[in-house]
Amino acid sequence: MYALTPMDAPVVDVRALRKVYRVTERETGLAATFRSFVRRRYREVLAVDGITFHIDPGEVVGFLGPNGAGKTTTLKMLSGLLHPTSGEATVLGHVPWRREGDFLRGMTLLMGNRSQLVWDIPAADSFLVLKEIYAVPAAQYKRTLDELTELLDLGPLLHKLVRGLSLGERMKVEFAAGLLHSPGVAFLDEPTLGLDISMQGRIRRFVAEYNQRSGATILLTSHYMDDVVALCRRVIVIHHGVLLYDGALADLAERMAPYKRISVTLRGSVGDLSTFGEVVSSNENLATIHVPRAQAAERTARLVRELGDQLADISVEDPPIEEVIDKVFASERPLAETTA
Amino acid sequence: MVRYLRMFRAFAATEFQFEMEYRGNFYLSIFEMFLVIGTSIGAVLIMFGHTTTMNGWTLPEMIVLLGVYYLIQGGVNLVFSPSFERLMEHVRVGTLDFHLLKPVNVQFLVSTRHLRVVRAADLLLGLVVVIVGLLQVGAQIGVAQSLLFALSLFFGVMLVYSLLLGLVTLSFWFVRVENLLAIFWAFTEAGRFPVDVYPLWLRVSLSTIVPIGIAVTAPANAIAGRMDAVGVALLGAGTVLAVGIASALWRRGLRSYTGASA
Ligand SMILES: Nc1ncnc2c1ncn2[C@@H]1O[C@H](COP(=O)(O)OP(=O)(O)O)[C@@H](O)[C@H]1O
Ligand SMILES: [Mg+2]
Repeated sequence: MYALTPMDAPVVDVRALRKVYRVTERETGLAATFRSFVRRRYREVLAVDGITFHIDPGEVVGFLGPNGAGKTTTLKMLSGLLHPTSGEATVLGHVPWRREGDFLRGMTLLMGNRSQLVWDIPAADSFLVLKEIYAVPAAQYKRTLDELTELLDLGPLLHKLVRGLSLGERMKVEFAAGLLHSPGVAFLDEPTLGLDISMQGRIRRFVAEYNQRSGATILLTSHYMDDVVALCRRVIVIHHGVLLYDGALADLAERMAPYKRISVTLRGSVGDLSTFGEVVSSNENLATIHVPRAQAAERTARLVRELGDQLADISVEDPPIEEVIDKVFASERPLAETTA
Repeated sequence: MVRYLRMFRAFAATEFQFEMEYRGNFYLSIFEMFLVIGTSIGAVLIMFGHTTTMNGWTLPEMIVLLGVYYLIQGGVNLVFSPSFERLMEHVRVGTLDFHLLKPVNVQFLVSTRHLRVVRAADLLLGLVVVIVGLLQVGAQIGVAQSLLFALSLFFGVMLVYSLLLGLVTLSFWFVRVENLLAIFWAFTEAGRFPVDVYPLWLRVSLSTIVPIGIAVTAPANAIAGRMDAVGVALLGAGTVLAVGIASALWRRGLRSYTGASA
C-alpha cells in the first residue's frame, strides 16, 4: 500500500504505541505529602492501548475520538513530550522522545486550550524570541511572517498585548507562533476549541491553504466534525485508546455504521412503519427508518411496493458522519467489527 | 554559545519593552531600592556606633559586604527569580510543554527566559555601595584582587542559582513550593551581614543549607584582600558541584514530568 521510496517514506510512523499513566495518589496535609514522597502510591490509567498507523508526506489526517479517547496523549508522544510505555514511533525519521534538535525544528504542536505566548507583551515580541530560539535566518523569518500575516490577517493583531485579543484572534496568533519556523509536520490538538462558527471556518481555511502552500503534513484532532469533513480526506478514529478505524472519511459510515437510513415522505399521515425497520423519527408525513445495511435495497423495494400511491418521496442514505461517530462513541466497549 | 547569547539578548529586549510600558513602576522600584539600601546602611552605622569592629569586620568592610549582598541579590532577581516564577506557573498549568518542544537547552530556557529589568538598578546601586565602601577601606586594589572579586561574585550568584533551581524543581512533585521559597528568601535576608556575626546554628545553616552566607562573604573578603586564589578556586569547585547537583535534580524532575519512568 505504501511505496517506500525515500521520498514517500511515511512522515509519521506509529507501531503498537501504548501509554499507561501512573497517577500518584496525592494526599493532603504536610505529613501525608511527606509520606507519599517517600513511599508513593500509584494508580494506573491506560490512555493509549497499542495503536498503529502511518501518515504520508503532505497528508491532512483527522484524529477522532470522544473525550478521554487518548488523542492528546498520542499527540504528546508524537511530539516528544511523553515517553510511551511501549511501542515505537518515528516522526520525520526521528524517535520523538529523544528530542533531537532536527526533529524539534521540524515539527510543531498547537493546543487549542493552551497558549505559548506571553500574555503581557505583544505577539510580535514573542515572535522575535521564537526567531532566536529556532535560529530562523532573518530573510526567511520575514518571508514566513509576511506570509502568515497575509493568510491569517494578523496585521492589526501583532502589536496589541496578547491579553487584549479575543479568543479567535489569539488562536490566529498562536498558529503563527507555532509555524514561524516552517515545520514540516504540524500536530493540531483541538485548534478550533471554543471558537465561534465563523472563526472556526477561518482557521479551517487557513489550515487547508497552509497545507497546500507548504506541503506540511498535518494531524488534527477536533470535537467538531465540520473541521474534519472540511479538511481531512482520511480519518483515524480511536476510542478507549484503541484504533477503531483508519481510512477514507467517505467510507467511514459504511464501515462503522451497520445501518442505512431511509427517509420517506408520504401524501397522507404516517402509519405504523415498524415492520420495515427501526423508526427513529416520524411526524405528520415524514418518517426516518434505520434498516440493516445489507437489507437496505430489499426494504426499500418493499416500502415502495407496499406504500404504493401514498409514497411521495423516498431516499436511502448513509447516516450523517456525526451520528455514526456519536453511536460509535456511545458504546461502552469498543466495537470489534461492525460491518455486517 | 553565540546562539545562546543572541537568545538571551532577545529575552532581555522583549522584557525591557514590557517594563517600558509600565515606566511608573520602574521609577517606583528604583526609589524603593534607594530606601532599602539606605536603611540597611543606616542599620550598619548604628551597629558601629558603639564599636569599631564586629568579629574582625570594620565599618567600611561591612559596607562593601552590603554592596556585594545587593549585587548578588540584584543578579538573582534580575534573571532567575522572574524566570522561576514563570516556570512554576508553567508546571502548574501545563504550558511547560511548549518549552520542551524547543530545540534548545530547556534548563537555560526556564532559567533565563524572563527578566525583571528594574533589578538592574539594584546591580548599579550595589556597585556604588561597594565602591563607596572600598574608598573608605582605602586599600590599593590590584588587578588580581578585582579579578578574584569578579570571579567570586559570579560563583556567588551561581551558588544561589543552584539552590533556587533545586527548590523550584521540587514543583514537579509538589504543586506548591512557594512556601519553601519564602523561607529561602527569609534566610537570604540574613546574608546582608557577614556570617560570622551570627550564632553558630544560624552560621552553619547560612553557609550550608542556604549558601547565601558564603556567596556574599566570599566576594567581600576577596576584594578586601582576605581571600586568595586558592579560596576562590575552592569556591568555584563548590559552585560547579552545586550547579551539577541542581541540574541533575532538574533532569530527574523533567523525566518524572514527561513520564519517562513509566
Ligand atoms: N497526565 C495524565 N495523568 C493521568 N491520566 C491522564 C493524564 N492525561 C490524560 N490522562 C487520562 O488518559 C486518558 C486519555 O486522555 P487524553 O489523551 O487527554 O484524551 P483525549 O485527548 O482524547 O480527550 C483519559 O482517561 C485521561 O483521563
Ligand atoms: Mg484532548
